[in-house]
Amino acid sequence: MDLVAGRVVPAERRPIRHLDPVLVLVSVALVSVGLLLIYSATHRSLAAIGEDPGFYLKRQATFAALGVVLALLVASVDYRFLKVYAGMIYLGAVVLLVLVRTPLGTAVKGSQRWFELFGFQLTPSEVAKIALIVMLATFLSELRRSTGELALPHVYSATAIAGLPALLVFLQPDLGTSIVLASILVGMLVVAGARGRHLAVLGLTGLVLVVAALQTGLVREYQLERVRALFDPANVDASALWNRQQAEIAIGSGGLTGLGYLRGSQTNLDFVPEQHTDFIFTVAGEEFGFVGSVTLLLLFALLLWRALRISALAKDPFGTYVAAGIASMFAIQMFVNIGMTIGIMPITGITLPFISYGGSSLLTNAVAVGLLLNIHMRRFI
Amino acid sequence: MRRPPLSRLVALLAAMLVALGTIFVRLTVLQVSQAASLRALALEQRLRTVELPAVRGEIVDRNGEPLAISLEARDVYADPRYVRDPWATAAVLAPMLGRDRAELADLLREDTSFVYLARQVDLDVADRIAARGLPGIGSLPSSRRSYPAGPLAAQVLGFVGVDGVGLAGLELAYEEELSGIPGERTQEIDPLGQPIAGGIDIERPPVPGATIVTTIDRDLQYQAQRALEEHVRANRARGGTVIVLDVRTGDVLAMATYPWFDPNRFTEASAETYRNRAVTDAFEPGSTNKVITAAAAVDRGAVGLRQVFAVPWELRVGGYTIHDAHPHGVLPMTLGDIVAESSNIGSILVAQRVGAPAMAAYLDRFGLGRPTGVGFPGESPGILPPPYAWTGSSLATISYGQGVAATPLQMAAVYAAIANDGRWVQPRLVRGIRDPRTGFEPAPPPRTRRAVAPETAEVISRMLAYAVEAGTGQRAAVPGYQVAGKTGTARIPAPGGNGYLRGQYIASFIGFLPASEPRVVIAAILDRPTTDYGGIAAAPLFQEVARAAIARLAIQPARPLPPPPTAGDGP
Repeated sequence: MDLVAGRVVPAERRPIRHLDPVLVLVSVALVSVGLLLIYSATHRSLAAIGEDPGFYLKRQATFAALGVVLALLVASVDYRFLKVYAGMIYLGAVVLLVLVRTPLGTAVKGSQRWFELFGFQLTPSEVAKIALIVMLATFLSELRRSTGELALPHVYSATAIAGLPALLVFLQPDLGTSIVLASILVGMLVVAGARGRHLAVLGLTGLVLVVAALQTGLVREYQLERVRALFDPANVDASALWNRQQAEIAIGSGGLTGLGYLRGSQTNLDFVPEQHTDFIFTVAGEEFGFVGSVTLLLLFALLLWRALRISALAKDPFGTYVAAGIASMFAIQMFVNIGMTIGIMPITGITLPFISYGGSSLLTNAVAVGLLLNIHMRRFI
Repeated sequence: MRRPPLSRLVALLAAMLVALGTIFVRLTVLQVSQAASLRALALEQRLRTVELPAVRGEIVDRNGEPLAISLEARDVYADPRYVRDPWATAAVLAPMLGRDRAELADLLREDTSFVYLARQVDLDVADRIAARGLPGIGSLPSSRRSYPAGPLAAQVLGFVGVDGVGLAGLELAYEEELSGIPGERTQEIDPLGQPIAGGIDIERPPVPGATIVTTIDRDLQYQAQRALEEHVRANRARGGTVIVLDVRTGDVLAMATYPWFDPNRFTEASAETYRNRAVTDAFEPGSTNKVITAAAAVDRGAVGLRQVFAVPWELRVGGYTIHDAHPHGVLPMTLGDIVAESSNIGSILVAQRVGAPAMAAYLDRFGLGRPTGVGFPGESPGILPPPYAWTGSSLATISYGQGVAATPLQMAAVYAAIANDGRWVQPRLVRGIRDPRTGFEPAPPPRTRRAVAPETAEVISRMLAYAVEAGTGQRAAVPGYQVAGKTGTARIPAPGGNGYLRGQYIASFIGFLPASEPRVVIAAILDRPTTDYGGIAAAPLFQEVARAAIARLAIQPARPLPPPPTAGDGP
């Protein structure tokens, strides 16, 4: 017997029997690949300055272990309780986003804000992703409606819900995360049945906003440079172009089968910047080649497919929306992150889920996987 | 509350597949079709090729003593792309390199990947800079030219510019042999410009330059310079030249021009002092040229040795009146007397017997009007008007050395031809080249040609010896040795080609010893000494250099030559 959302369920319907093993395996595989790549990207530089070459590896492994615990915790309590607390979670995230801009928050290079807590860094923009997914799912699942389509006022409301944290994040400035938040909104609206017209208007509005931001100087010069590096490489500052070129050279020189683990010269020699975080895909590309990067791509495909499958199988619309939001989050981060390393997207500070070094990011992904497992486990009750 | 349609999830899935597909296509382009070129690009940006300069060859004297050597040094450079803080970096480097901080900072900010900060820096300075580990700052092997004996033979050796290329003298003439062949080192480097351990490291070692073995005798050169400086000062001359030639081989044992400079600090010296005037500057030789007139007359048989000329003290030739140096009545003079007393009028009378065509031929045989071919950059051929351009007075003035110009080396070679039994030998400054790979290769034997018959040469030697014993050159005499030689006191053409400078002369004495078995020819020339006359100003300088040569070369006295017939001998 088990207690699920206040109901008594028979043993054969106990959630643990319906764990999604594929999702578990894919997540573990992705994190493991991430640990391998992080070590490759950092061991030489660390050794060069006399530090433990496994420093970043060990830290990330600690976060991974913490992530497993967190995922299990999240999976163990019925996700439907979240509906009750969605508003509080959302408000809490917004408050954190505001507070981080006060002296309570820490900043480096004028962006990337976080709180220092017990030696760890809590990044509110990561919290905001999950909070937005839960809030939107609650909002969308509670709508009274007769048809499968979403009415315009509801689209407005949903946009407002996403717009507030997206704006706060954008002002940090963290263009990358605001793109992720916007994509979560679009993904969930699609699944919720928003009309094509409305989505098109939303898309246009987003475009106008971006252009306006560029015109009014809200976007920092370095971000503009990064965008120009993609579309107008002849007229940009050398460093923006340099990053892009070095990433492409690294991935391209991997060739079909790669140069071998720990043998990538672009990787080992620090030609590529921020290689254990934003540019970690270049390590896979250089050391494991086309075969390796496509394999990694397939793991992501599997992850997205499981997330969408869970969305389809969910017992209730709330579960469907949460899963769809998580799928959208993973998809956009993967696309923008890999895209910028292969020269099809501008360079923005978006991490590659499960792979990039960083505690907040990894724990956020762990919570997301926990939620997916939760929804899958409870699809019959 | 209705469940959202499944089709929307399919749409989302489709969008994600498009994204994945796009990435897949782009990966195919990068990692399959462009892989080779991107890999080449990756290697290329890790490779850096630097030139390894070849060590410049030495210049040594005839006994292997170093005259010019190369010391190991470093060129300090910057790759401004990696310099993080130009102002701070400049502050560290400025005192070490002895350069202005703002100037260095400007260099460090240049939009380039390579800029020299200082050339030819001492090794310990370069090491101290390297120890600071400044990003973007490096050093390359280089060398600095050093002339251990300072101003010794400075104009002969020349000097080397900041980039190690010979700019003057033998350094310039033998640039190709001295410079060697630079090597090359290609290394794999990391983005901070540091070589990668275990990476590609291909080195083609440089081939060091060859050693130039000169004919100069360092000790004799030193003595010659010391004597020259002393006599220039004593006579308050503007400058001077001394040449010591080996009679048989044409080897230049010493070649000095005052004022000189220190090639270690040539930039601080006046460019005027760079000229090796012994070779590059022609002067009107004056009476020393009478030896050619006499030799032509004897060789042609135009004048008998006992033939007595009635020599007045002045003569009208071609519209000009020409005088002897000192007034005298009509004197009876043989050829020997004319040479010994250095009579201009006598020379004219002799030359008129020889005739202009033959005179021109002998001037040419003795090498006037064309470079000796000593192998020195900028050698002057002198000025000898071609016979068709001779005016009515040309034969007369050339007979006593005016209206013709020659370099000191050309005149020394004239006397060497007399000393060498009438055979002219091309003077040379280089004995050979010692290549580190192929060993010593002697210079080709010098060109020679007969100027006059050996009998003529002996008769002229007797006259020259008599000139020292009893004529104008008495102050050149060296006790125990018979010296043969001739004084010269030449007028100096005025700048602009209008007549001659008043009361200013080039005093010279050129001669050889021992007269009967000559070993060395010595030319001693002073520019505008206050004492004016070759016999007074230049002969003592000759004598001092001759003493040094006797000591240095262990020259033994030889049997004396008999004097030539003179008018005093009676009929």
